Amino acid sequence: MVLDIDEVNLKHGVLGLVIALVEVIRDTLRLQAVRRMESGRLSEEEIERLGEALMEFDRAIEEIKVEQGITETVQSVRDGLDDLVTEVIEKMVNPERWVEEA
Amino acid sequence: MVREGRSETEKLRGVIADLVREEAEALVHEASEAITEIVRSNLLPAVRSAIREEIAKQLEEAVYLSQTARAQDEGGAAAEAPDAEEASGNEERGLYVYGIADANVETELGQIGIEGKSVYTVSYGDLSAIVHDCPLEPYESDDEEVITRWVATHQYVIDVAEEKFGTIIPFGFDRIIKPKAQASAKDVFRSWLAEEYDTLVQKMEKIRGKKEYGVQIFYSPSVLSQKIADESEEIRGIKEMMGTKGPGAAYMYTQKLETALKREMESRMSAHFKDFYERIKNHVEEIKIEKTKRSDEKDRRMIMNLSCLVAPNAYQALGAELEAIGGESGFFVRFTGPWPAYSFV
Repeated sequence: MVLDIDEVNLKHGVLGLVIALVEVIRDTLRLQAVRRMESGRLSEEEIERLGEALMEFDRAIEEIKVEQGITETVQSVRDGLDDLVTEVIEKMVNPERWVEEA
Repeated sequence: MVREGRSETEKLRGVIADLVREEAEALVHEASEAITEIVRSNLLPAVRSAIREEIAKQLEEAVYLSQTARAQDEGGAAAEAPDAEEASGNEERGLYVYGIADANVETELGQIGIEGKSVYTVSYGDLSAIVHDCPLEPYESDDEEVITRWVATHQYVIDVAEEKFGTIIPFGFDRIIKPKAQASAKDVFRSWLAEEYDTLVQKMEKIRGKKEYGVQIFYSPSVLSQKIADESEEIRGIKEMMGTKGPGAAYMYTQKLETALKREMESRMSAHFKDFYERIKNHVEEIKIEKTKRSDEKDRRMIMNLSCLVAPNAYQALGAELEAIGGESGFFVRFTGPWPAYSFV
């Protein structure tokens, strides 16, 4: 099997993968942050700072994507991950399909 | 003061990171058996078959190259790629099967097959198979257009046969019967027909006179989230809160808003799904729920993808029902067909 590797597509691929993962982590952080806010244990000021930190995080990710021209790569990695997760969940929900495919 | 703020944020980050890690670890731990099972049952066979395919492809290429080289050495003009199988001295001993017709006929349909092959029927009992003679290699090409053309021809042959003989149990593209030891492909195929005869007759009864239609229903996320935003107390409440906050807090509330919207959207969609399913079910013989696909169009998402087996007298009512669904704000329906009953045989 010949792998087609050059510097550009290697960079796109790896960087796209990394940023996609960072985005996934960002999404989890966001969820956690909202959950904390809803728990009522954060002061107004803390909420404000948490929001600002996350906002900065978003901005940084966007900048990197634009700078490196990897917006599409990241999206396609995320779509791929989504499909994978959907499939795995579907399999967990429908164990009959394991048998079908075996 | 600034320093303090910073370390506070860092502390928060640390806490959040720990929480995420813990949760993820717990999840992975809980599901580890299932995950192992899934990886083993899915990934490994896929990887294995990918490797096998690649090896086969490389081998084939090597063989093809050496054959072309030989052909050129002998001064004979090398055949074009699709005819490579023929050039290799492989006679047309295979049988390409388009489908099975609901009639006993032995006849010729002319040179309408894939690559202009002569299509004819092989009868058995009350059924006949629609076939052409072919080389033993499957139809394969790297050129998508070529494949599209082959598949379209496959479909066309089934249409012609349907016109002539009535209901057809369609076969998928590229089903080729191979000869076995002394038996010719036709003999192999006849004995297969004999074995499967009862099942085939049953299937034929199920689909006789009926057609398959594809029903895909889409929604527009923007239209529906607007609708939810207008209707939901919770969301209106969050929106009002946002106006009075600083940018950081507003960001947090936007996230909260999106989560609330998403949750509401999901629960509405599953209600719509049930509703549409019930309404469609009334007009069809059988429904298969297919995987939803990502839509290429902007602001369109597929909520359901169905294959329906429809009796001729129910077609009008189904059409009307679908029109009603498509008329609901934010929903679109794509209705395709009629097709041979691919999904039900």
